[in-house]
Formats: sequence, C-alpha cells, structure tokens
Amino acid sequence: MVTQEEIERVSKLMKIDVDDHKEYVDKVKRMIGYFDVLDSAGVESEEISMLEIPISFLREDEYIPFSDKLIEKLNHYKGTYVRAPKMSS
Amino acid sequence: MTKIGLEIHCQLTNLKSKLFCPCKANYREFQINENICPICMGLPGSLPRLNQEAVKKATIIAMALNCTTPEKIAFFRKNYFYPDLPKNFQITQLNIYGDTSVGGTGSIMVGDKKIRITRIQLEEDPGRLIYEGSSSKNQITLVDYNRAGTPLVEIVTEPDFENPKQVRDFLNILSDLLENLGISDPSLEGAMRADANVSVKGGNKVEIKNIGSFHDLEKATHFEITRQESLRSREIPIVQETRHWDDKRKITVSSRSKEEDLDYRYFLEGDIPWVTINPEIKNELKSKMPESISSKKERYVSKYNIPVQVADVLSLDKFYSDLFEESHTADNAKEIANIITTDLMGLVDTREKRAESKLTATHLRDLADSIQSGKISRISAKNALHEIVKTGKSLSQIISELDLGNVSDESELFGIIEQVISEEEQAVEQAKSNPQTINYLVGKVMQKTKGKADPALTLNLLKKQIGI
Amino acid sequence: MNLKISVLEYVQEIKNGNLSAEDFMSKTLERISDVDDKLHAFLNINKDAIDQAREIDKKIKSGAKTGSCLGMPISIKDNICIKDSKTTCASKMLENFVAPYDATVITKLKEQDAVFVGKVNLDEFAMGLSTEFSAFGPSKNPWNVECVPGGSSGGSAVSVSAFECIASLGSDTGGSVRNPASFCSIVGYKPTYGLISRYGLISYANSIEQIGPLTRTVKDTAFMLNIISGLDENDNTTVDNNNADYLSGIDSGIEGKKIGVIKEMIGEGIDPRVLSATNDAISKLESLGAICEEVSLDMVKYSVAAYYTITATEAGSNLARYDNLRYGYDFPVEGYEFNSYISKARRNFGPEVTRRMIIGGFVPSAGHAGKYFLKAIKVKSKLTKEINEAFKRFDLLISPTVPILPFKIGEKIDDPISLFLVDINTVTANLTGKPAISIPYAIVNGLPIGIQLMADSMNDKLLLQAGHALENTVTLPEVPI
Repeated sequence: MVTQEEIERVSKLMKIDVDDHKEYVDKVKRMIGYFDVLDSAGVESEEISMLEIPISFLREDEYIPFSDKLIEKLNHYKGTYVRAPKMSS
Repeated sequence: MTKIGLEIHCQLTNLKSKLFCPCKANYREFQINENICPICMGLPGSLPRLNQEAVKKATIIAMALNCTTPEKIAFFRKNYFYPDLPKNFQITQLNIYGDTSVGGTGSIMVGDKKIRITRIQLEEDPGRLIYEGSSSKNQITLVDYNRAGTPLVEIVTEPDFENPKQVRDFLNILSDLLENLGISDPSLEGAMRADANVSVKGGNKVEIKNIGSFHDLEKATHFEITRQESLRSREIPIVQETRHWDDKRKITVSSRSKEEDLDYRYFLEGDIPWVTINPEIKNELKSKMPESISSKKERYVSKYNIPVQVADVLSLDKFYSDLFEESHTADNAKEIANIITTDLMGLVDTREKRAESKLTATHLRDLADSIQSGKISRISAKNALHEIVKTGKSLSQIISELDLGNVSDESELFGIIEQVISEEEQAVEQAKSNPQTINYLVGKVMQKTKGKADPALTLNLLKKQIGI
Repeated sequence: MNLKISVLEYVQEIKNGNLSAEDFMSKTLERISDVDDKLHAFLNINKDAIDQAREIDKKIKSGAKTGSCLGMPISIKDNICIKDSKTTCASKMLENFVAPYDATVITKLKEQDAVFVGKVNLDEFAMGLSTEFSAFGPSKNPWNVECVPGGSSGGSAVSVSAFECIASLGSDTGGSVRNPASFCSIVGYKPTYGLISRYGLISYANSIEQIGPLTRTVKDTAFMLNIISGLDENDNTTVDNNNADYLSGIDSGIEGKKIGVIKEMIGEGIDPRVLSATNDAISKLESLGAICEEVSLDMVKYSVAAYYTITATEAGSNLARYDNLRYGYDFPVEGYEFNSYISKARRNFGPEVTRRMIIGGFVPSAGHAGKYFLKAIKVKSKLTKEINEAFKRFDLLISPTVPILPFKIGEKIDDPISLFLVDINTVTANLTGKPAISIPYAIVNGLPIGIQLMADSMNDKLLLQAGHALENTVTLPEVPI
C-alpha cells in the first residue's frame, strides 16, 4: 500500500521538493501500483546473475595526474574550495 | 558485562593511486582540489576503474587476520547525500547476496583474548570538509576533494572487547600489522580512524562516531561505558542511538537522529563487474606476504639467542627489523640487535630523521664486528654511531678521525693505570678489601681514556697492579 | 547536391573527388536552418563545423592519412560528453554544464575525422519514449510533425531521418534508440551490452544501457560499429570483440537461419497495422530461406515492470550527484542549510525525472526492496535464462519494434502506464544484454513501422546480416519534408 506519508518520506530521502503533492502522489502511486504485477512472476528462488571479470583485468596501480586543472573548469563558485551550504547539526 | 565493537577504517597509503582512478592515493602534499579527475569528482559520464593492487592488498589484510576470502567479490552503492561525497553515494562492499566482501569472518588474539572479525571491506574515502564563517547564519561548508576516492579497508569486529585497554592493545597490534605488511603507514595523519559501539550489561548498543584519534577512542569508550553504567544504576533505559564524540568537551553527544538519511537503498554497483580472485592468485599473495611480527620475534629468540625483550622491540618496528635483516650474519646478529635497540632507535626515532640518516647495513656490520673484536668499546661505538648517522663516513674513517680506537696497548694503558692508582689512594685501599669496588677504578681509567680503554684488559692490569 | 546519401555513399563520393567535406557540411547546415525550426532536433549547432570540414578536405588533398569518416556530419545525443561543449541532457539542471573531457566514442570518431555538426534533443536525462520530456521543448516527427518522433533519442532519429546529418549516436536503455528509429523510419541499433564503451555517456541506468548508432542503412551502422566498438580501459563493463569487422560478410543473407517470433510481443494491444506489417516481414524472410516459428518468453509479461523498477532505482542513484555544488546553474549557497538548498536546487528537474526519482527512492528502500527491487532483478535473471534457452533453438528473434504507430504529441503524456507499455517489445534486449536492431519496414497512413530483430550476446555480426537482408526486401517512400 503506497501512502502519502511514504511518498513524502521518500521525497525527503531523494532531496526532491514536491510542491503540489497530490498530483505527483497520484501518478507515482499508479506507477508503483503497476509494479505489483511482479508478485505473480514466481521468481523467489532465482539467483542474481552478474558480469564477472578476473582480477588480472583490473587497472594497474599507477599515479597519472589528470591533464587539466579540473577545478578551474568546474568553477561556478569563488576560490579553490567547493562551496556548500552549512550542515544542520 | 561491557561489550565494545569496532569499525576501523585504514587507508591503503602505500598504494600509488586511488581506488577507482589514477589520482594519487596519498593526497597530503597537494594544494586544495588539485588531486582530482572526472572519476573521483563523480562528473557526469565518468565511470570507476577498480585498482588491482588495492584488491590484492585488501585480500592480504584479510588473510593476515585469518579471515575467509571469497572467490568472487562485488561492490555496492551506499546512497546518501553529503557534500564530501561527489556522487552522493559511496562505492563500498556488503554481504547481502552471499559473501562478497574481500574478507569474511576471522579472528585475532589480543593477549589471551580472542577478538572475532566480522568482515573486511574495500571502499572509497570521501573528501574533507572545513567550516567557514562565524555565526550560524553565514556559515559555509568548504570541500576539498583531494582525498575523495582514496582506498580504504574497513575492518569490522564483533563486540568482543571487554574494556578500553583491550581496544588500545588491538589497535596497536593492527597498526603494527599493517605497517609490517607494507600496506599502510599508520603514523600518517588520518590513515587510521575508528568508530566504536558500546553496550553494558546486555543493554542497548550505542554507536560512537567522529572519533579523531586512537587516543580519543580510548577516552570515548571509557566515557560511554561510564555514562551507560551511570544511567543503568539509576534504572534509566539506554537508548539505542548514534552519538558523536565531542572532542572539546570530552563527552559523547546524541546526534540529532535523521531517520530519513539512514535508508541507504543498497544495490549492486553496475559499473564494476564481480571480480574473481582464484586460488592461484591467493596462494601467490600468501607466499609473498612478509613474515609476521610474532614469527620474526620467535626467530630472533630461537635462532640468534636475542633476549626476549630486545626481540620484542625489534620485531615490532618494520624499519629496524628490515635493517636488521639486511645487516646481520649468524655471528653478529645479537650484537646488531643490541646496537639497534639500545642506541640507534633512540637516536634516529622520527620519520624525518630516518629519512635523513646516512647509516647503512654495512656500517652496522662493521660496528658490531669492531665491538666484538675489541677494536672499539661500546661507548666509542655509540659516539661513532652519531657520526655515521650524520655523515655516512665509513667506520674506519671515523675511528681514526675521532681517535676512537680502543686503547689496548698494554704499555700505554699501564701508564694511565699507574696514574689512576696514584690519584685514587682511598679507592685502591677499598678495592683491596672489597674486590667488587674495583669497578670504580675501571671507570676512572675509562674516563681518562675517554672510554677507549679495553675494559677486560684494564680490569686485569688493575688487579695485577693492586695485587688482588 | 544530394544530402540523401548513406554514409558509405558519402565516403565513396569523397574518395572519388565528386564531393568535398566542406560543401557537404555547408549544405547540411543549410538544411538544418531550413527545417529545424519545425522539427527541433538540435539543441546546439557546432559553429566550427565548416572550418573543421575544410581542414579535412585539406588533409585529403595533401595525401596525408585521413580517418575513415572523411569529415562527415554526425549528430550526437546531448547526454554524451564532448570536451569543451555544453552537454545538457536536455535538463535545466545541466543547462550550462561544459564537459571537460571526451566520451570514448567521441575520441574514436574524432580520430577517424568525423565532424560533429551538433548536439541533439532527448527526453530529459534519457527518461522517456517520446522526447516530450525535454526541458527545451519536444522534437517533431518528420513524417508527421504533429506526432512524436519516439524517444528518448528523438533528436538523433529526426536529424538522420530529415537529412540534417548523415548518422547519429544515441543511447538505448529500454528502446531509446530503436523506438525513435522505428517511429522515424531509419535503422537503430543497440549492441550487445559492453560492446561500446559508456565512458562519457551520462548515466541513467548503467547496468543495462548502451550507446547505439542511428543511420539510414544497416551497412552504415556496421561502419559506425567498426569505429566505436571495442574494449575500453575507461569502462570496466566493456567486452573484447577482438576487433571484429562488422561490414565483412554483411551480404551473407539469412538462408537456413532459424527465427523465433516472440508470441508475447505480437499479442494484446498491438495495432493491427503493425501486426500485418510484422507478418509480412516474416513471409519475406521465409522467402529468403529463413525458417520462422513461434516462441514464448513468459517473463516478457513482467519485463516492463521489472525494467521501470530497476531503471528508477539506478536513476535515483545516478542522478543523486546533481546537487548543484560542483557544477550546475547559478544558485549561491550562502544563507541556506544543506538539505533545503539541495531540495530547492533539484527543482530544476522536470516532472518525469522527478517522478522517477521518487519511484527510485521507493522501490529499493528498506521495507519495500523485497517486494519491488529484489523481485525485479530476479525477473531480469529469469528472463535472461529464458532468452538464452530460446537462442539454443533459434539464431534470431523477431517482433515489431513498437506495438503501435507514432502517436500524437501530448496524447500519452498524462498516462504513464500507457506510455510504459510502448516499451514492451524493446526492454527485453536491455534487461538481457542482447543486441537488437530496428529495421524500417513499412509506412502506413503516412506513419512508419519498424521491425525488430534480436540475436544472442556477441552475435552482432549475424544480427547485422539479418537486418541487412530484411531492409533489402522493401523500398520505402521518401520522408515528406
């Protein structure tokens, strides 16, 4: 059961401000409701499959500095530190 | 019954590059935000490139702590928002689909207490935050991402510790272990950090985070035990929560619970396939592992007859035990161990001094041989050591330059002994009646010869002269 | 000058000296300015395109070694990074983001002297099927400008179909290359997962998406694949294709090949005109010597639900980095607290992305993961098992690419479930990692219908042969623009 409170909790979790909750909530509820069909797939005993590679394929441990002054290219703030808002606690 | 468990984060400082990109693993020498690239900044379109050596080193740590090591390892995303986390998720390891982190259950002895390891996982370090602005209104958080992506091994223990002292002993053992394995330099700032969880008498478990050093860890666990016991004695229930260590006030403080932030929505990291580490690789890693500290100590004692305390001190220090290995022979091992532990360790103690020292294995060998053959005395050897460390000149050069050679010429020594006897009438009389006190006269001769008199010869000649 | 030539024809004309890269580029830009006001495929035009083409002409003339693309104009979906170019993902969140590096596919094309004529439109962050969710306005279908061109690589499909460029690179997460290719009557290709590097593709659902070419002919796709595929150290999920040559043997035909007709993809909800075209295609293939037989993939019923659950989860995580701190748009942090700043900054996501974020937070969250996310990845596993079984009996699988004809702009935008189901034939290839191609097959009532073929993993060569055989069975009318 998808409740309004749940949707609000998840919006906070995802740092998404949702203004007119009702419209979103309705659409989201419908979309999630559609996923209920998964219950009848009968897949409880399935194993998770995944790609595999041998350890020898992994990157060699070598220091290679990035070619550009990256921080200057990203800069839409002052100075060399990245500026973030104050933390709450 | 007190129960303490630990989560220790160890940086793999001896690696050359970060966990998922080729930026430098040791970020400490860089200017702000200079050790970054699209990958560790989590730029749109960037993908992680797993460091092969990091996986190997983490596997070695797992083996050293007697942990199981799976044949395939996997990575997961831990999703939460924080300014030091460029992707707003951390790539880490979990065991929710079977054993997929680099180390499983294991154990290590701390004295005669067995501490169980729950798991060992590889993960990336976040960036660093500092705060700017005085009043709470204009405060800004400043972020430096040089550290973001540095390889970490997280070691999680069961709550097997019974008191803060065991915790301290364990951390010392762990630092020595990591240093001995050549994986990490624990003396680097921030290289090892730990969080703890504490419960008393079967009550609720409280997590303590934000502990800056091992010294603070002991204080924090001690404080928390006291706090919980005090609550218990007043029959106040202990809340299961996360607290942080307030270093200024030296107390643990309840962290404002951010319920919504605790849901990490863990799922497999799709950009990194499962990595298979087959038994051949593991055997190769095992065979190349440096000898363990306890094994070294045992070898020093049984093979070279080095006294237990000396062996203890020497085996725990990787820099000096390596030097010992390089310089000793069967004959002079005990003497070299002695020189290192008695004089050298105190003289060349810091990392800077070790880096500047010009002493080599050859010097040590020459010193030991010269002492054993009576060419120079121990006191002279100590003086020579100072000079060697500073200048790197050969021992023979220094002996002649500083005139450190033992005075073993009988006639020369005879003259000095005569002098001492005539100056120390009272002592001579005493020595006649109490032969033990002759050492005072020996000392006087040593003084006059600036420590270069051959002690055995001096003693014999003195006895003869005095007639005892 | 004829802009309506294929990539291979262009290469031939340049080599023969009948054409110069500069002239072709110049005419291309003229075409763009003629039609793009109506079609809105492009978000950004490369103002140096003609200069770059001119340089390549000089290289060719001087006899110096020139790359195989010989200055051809290629459009790039705006979720693929080109260094020092704006890469917006059709989102206000990245409106001013300038990529500081090239995607691997871009590096490879640059090495072959391709010229990027511009960045093209998409559904915001590639989430959508119609390009209606772009923050910068929808693109229009050149066959009928009141209809959607499909999505999310709508701009790619429109630009190729309307001769605004000779080829395009898009991305396919659940059909985003094949669907617009089908709606715009061109060829759209999704390779085996891992065949093309995703380094520089801005992630939406990284465990199943791939970059894919959109072209006018199958041989053109093979040409592109030869350049952009292969192992890449920058992408740990790439596979080694041993430098396969996808053009060689492409005329082999499909004599004796066994083709499975996927029952669940021609069932309920299919437009009868699409069904009729599909049956026609099957007969044509049989007349070429293929053996066609029905096959059932039971998990297809659950594939759309599994797809949206998995992609929402991955998207929720992949898009978490857009907090406007390190890059983004101008919104100073002073005076704000962390949580409220981030939530406010992320209001610049459009409504579809916002919905997917919320779903993506919900379905893997503690308390719900077992019911939704875990089940979805298990459906993915089982579907993969089923299709692997099918490929033991069949060389190829066939279905219509989309069960319906291109719909009107605005028609489905308020009905998310109905929009979901447009994907039902295409998501299987993404969930299972199999290669799939959409071949333009018919125009009915002025609207295009595409036929989809799938092959087993790493059988991309076979797939291209089959696609080429099918495309040769029809001659289609010209696009009316």
